[in-house]
Amino acid sequence: MKKIIALALTLIMVFALAASASAADSGSVYWLNFKPELDEAAQQLASMYTEETGVPVKVVTAASGTYSQTLTSEMDKSSAPTLFVIGNQAGVKEWGEFAMDLTDTPIANELNTDAYNLYDEDGRLVSIGYCFECYGIIVNPDLIEAAGHSMDELVNFEGLKAVAEDIHARADELGFDAFSSSDMDSSSSWRFTGHMANLEYYYEERDAGGWTECPPELTGAYMENFKNLYDLCINNSLTDPADLATGGHDAENEFKTGKAAFFVNGSWEYAAVSEAVPNATMIPYYCGVEGEEKAGLNCGTENCWAINDTVSDADKQATMDFMVWLVTDPEASQIMVDQLGVLPYKQVPESTNGFLAAANEYAANGHYVMDWATNYQPNVDDYRAALVSALNAYNADQSDANWELVKTAFVDGWAVQYQAANG
Amino acid sequence: MNKQGTLAAERRRKTIMSVVLAVICIIYVLPVLTVVINSFKVNTFVKTDTFAVPTGEMWAGFANFIKGMTFGNYPFWNSVKYSVLITVASTALILLFTSMAAWYIARVNSFFCKVIYYLCVFSMVVPFQMVMFTLSKTADSLHLNTPWTIPIVYLGFGAGLAIFMFVGFVKSIPLEIEEAASIDGCGPVRTYFSVVLPMLKPTMISVGILEIMWVWNDYLLPYLVLDINEYRTIPIHIQYLKGSYGTVDLGATMALILLSIIPVIIFYLICQKHIIKGVAAGAVKG
Amino acid sequence: MRKGIFKNPLRRWFWLFLGPVTAAFTIGFVWPFIQGIYLSFCKFKLIRNATFIGFGNYVSALKDASFMHSFWYTALFALTSLVFINILGFAAAYALTQGIKGSNLYRTVFFMPNLIGGIVLGYIWSMIFDGILSRYGTSILLETKYGFWGLIILMCWQQIGYMMIIYIAGLQAVPEDMLEAAKIDGATKTQTLFKVTIPNVMPSITICTFLSLTNGFKLFDQNLALTGGQPFIIQPDGSTIKTTEMLALNIYNTFYNSNSASKGVAQAKAVLFFILVAGIGLAQLAYTRKREVQQ
Repeated sequence: MKKIIALALTLIMVFALAASASAADSGSVYWLNFKPELDEAAQQLASMYTEETGVPVKVVTAASGTYSQTLTSEMDKSSAPTLFVIGNQAGVKEWGEFAMDLTDTPIANELNTDAYNLYDEDGRLVSIGYCFECYGIIVNPDLIEAAGHSMDELVNFEGLKAVAEDIHARADELGFDAFSSSDMDSSSSWRFTGHMANLEYYYEERDAGGWTECPPELTGAYMENFKNLYDLCINNSLTDPADLATGGHDAENEFKTGKAAFFVNGSWEYAAVSEAVPNATMIPYYCGVEGEEKAGLNCGTENCWAINDTVSDADKQATMDFMVWLVTDPEASQIMVDQLGVLPYKQVPESTNGFLAAANEYAANGHYVMDWATNYQPNVDDYRAALVSALNAYNADQSDANWELVKTAFVDGWAVQYQAANG
Repeated sequence: MNKQGTLAAERRRKTIMSVVLAVICIIYVLPVLTVVINSFKVNTFVKTDTFAVPTGEMWAGFANFIKGMTFGNYPFWNSVKYSVLITVASTALILLFTSMAAWYIARVNSFFCKVIYYLCVFSMVVPFQMVMFTLSKTADSLHLNTPWTIPIVYLGFGAGLAIFMFVGFVKSIPLEIEEAASIDGCGPVRTYFSVVLPMLKPTMISVGILEIMWVWNDYLLPYLVLDINEYRTIPIHIQYLKGSYGTVDLGATMALILLSIIPVIIFYLICQKHIIKGVAAGAVKG
Repeated sequence: MRKGIFKNPLRRWFWLFLGPVTAAFTIGFVWPFIQGIYLSFCKFKLIRNATFIGFGNYVSALKDASFMHSFWYTALFALTSLVFINILGFAAAYALTQGIKGSNLYRTVFFMPNLIGGIVLGYIWSMIFDGILSRYGTSILLETKYGFWGLIILMCWQQIGYMMIIYIAGLQAVPEDMLEAAKIDGATKTQTLFKVTIPNVMPSITICTFLSLTNGFKLFDQNLALTGGQPFIIQPDGSTIKTTEMLALNIYNTFYNSNSASKGVAQAKAVLFFILVAGIGLAQLAYTRKREVQQ
């Protein structure tokens, strides 16, 4: 019995200590990171910084698909994040009022471009880009050659389709297939509902002369093109489409081990992929749009930092110092570049990312950059979840009726979520 | 029908029942067996050959377990540690304080006692969703978001059933024993610890079992209250593995699931008698 | 008054005996409950900027098609699982009280799944169902009926043992002489079961019925881990209904997954949910009271 009392007393003491510990305030950083791939590096950077300066840095990474949920619950806590991500205009609308105006702050002065910054209605600079990325279709050129084709064929949808269908038809003989698995579980579905969907948004946006804020509804004019590429991807892959719903296939590994020639993903995969396939490169989302021979990669970012305006001045200052350190310290910025590709800051090292190099090459050759219109997705988690469900039904049974549902989720779902978010 | 015939029919009936039960029993164990075989299987085969015994290229050996230890960038043993800590501390706290409170309520029976008692009974019918948002905010603002302090939240939210069961039992204890102690010069504290507490033992075990089963398996409360980047209990960790971070590795997940249910099954086999009694008591009274 | 002998000294120890529970109970229940009621009438993103708006949240909650769908789905699920779990649980208990060899072993095995947590159970069964369904080119996430029956099977596996334990306690309390009397009167096994045994275990049946009903309504972990609400119905206007989403998960998703402006609506849903579950609890109480008076 004494032991129980002792335990109870200890608990009460620990409780009291925990309560008093928070009273001390010399400024600390709490970074709510939304990129799972960055988690390891971010934790490492945090401990490096703490070691160097003594300022405590806590990094929390939200599980994929749960960032807004985590942010909502964290922001209401007494120790709210001091550094968080506002990645798009919808985010600005929702969280802009809690973000500090970064105009002319030390971190803003380190930027080399204004292209990735986000402003609210009053012109306050609420969030600034910290890296930019690109996505498209990752290709293993060796496998294309091994199948008797050439990279030069991959310049439009017809070319891509011919190569992919040929590889798929001869998969047994070749020992590899065209596309890696396109799982629809939450660890993978964003590659399609977030990224591949961008081709539809982008062309629609281009027709509209560019979007500056989330459009209340879509026309769905390029749904056929999205279908082209999506169908090609699920029907010429290692996995039976009906088997994609619960996931469990390792697409990255399929590509790395040479079992698949194509892998739909982005520049953040470069470090992992290039170990096994050093000459891996990336091609645009070819989908049968007029003039797509001139298409480039999807470049943009939703990686934009905002500082929480509601925390103490000491915390804001500490956060600002930490951000500047991340993009100026030689060692730290090298880690950032290795992980994230290109950082739009003056003092950071050159990128070694082959996919971003491909993006630059396309741009240098006069191809158009497909910007990230996907960032405008309203109520993004809900919108994508509905799309996943519709795609699941379509994967299992590729009927016109099921494609109509995908279209409804894609086009009408946008309007519904827009209303929910803004209505 | 003569007596002999009835007996033979009876025996036949029992044999048939025995066989049926044995078959159901085997079916009952199959899900757990499936976990066992898949925890030794290479990830890609878990989906395609779920019910095959892993041999040849399917056999992963202990690779899944080794990978599972650090899977999802979080050491599995930490979540075991936190699960054990939270369960033990919460149960101890609940047993000690609610039994004390129950004795006080039953014996003093003032207006305030009645208020507390009926509030506790009331809290038993309130679903967690009703308070989850505000509770997690309150817990956070009071810094109850660590494994060392979350037992206080459990004491608060879980007090209802425990108080109810203890009060019911205390009322059945004759007053004379306590009076005798008090005449011998024992103060309330000594009376409680040396006289009342030992008598409460059977109820303590029942309540303890119920609380252990609840806290150990609880997902939502710790998920919402704890700082989940630092502190994950086993259910939180497993949910996190399925819902995030690149590719889901079913083999490793099954290995961790196996590791998390083995101690539960051992605990069950050892304390089976108490567990079954505790469950029956909790259900009948609740 | 006899009680007075130590009632007064005990009162002075109020802070030690009742203090900790009162404090924790206030933090863990009373305050969150009151604040929850209040917030259900407010519009808020963060608690500190809540503004009072009256019944608006309740109107939105009741107009929310996904909420109403989850209510009917949950009700259907709770009733179906109630029937299956109780019939099978009773059958198991009845079989195990017939003096069959190995009864203890069977009891041990049947109760075992009860100790496994909901999240873990969900993932175990999701693997099993997909292992079966993927052979037929489908998945538990693709058809509402698979999700529904999958969850029923899961819950049966988990809960039958629990109900069985309660029924065994009830069956063992059936007076031996009544069974003997029935036998002497020449009643068949079936007659004895329905005329003697079942009326005598009515209290257990009541308890188990209400228990499985509340369990069904409050179900969350298993629902989240098994299907998480999939598949969705995409309505013609583009809005979605998560067909296998039950009430608790719907409330959770409204709180944490939807737009942050809908928190007030979520809290209103939570209050409605509370009224529903508490209503079932009170019905049970009233019913048991009535029976006690009659007896």
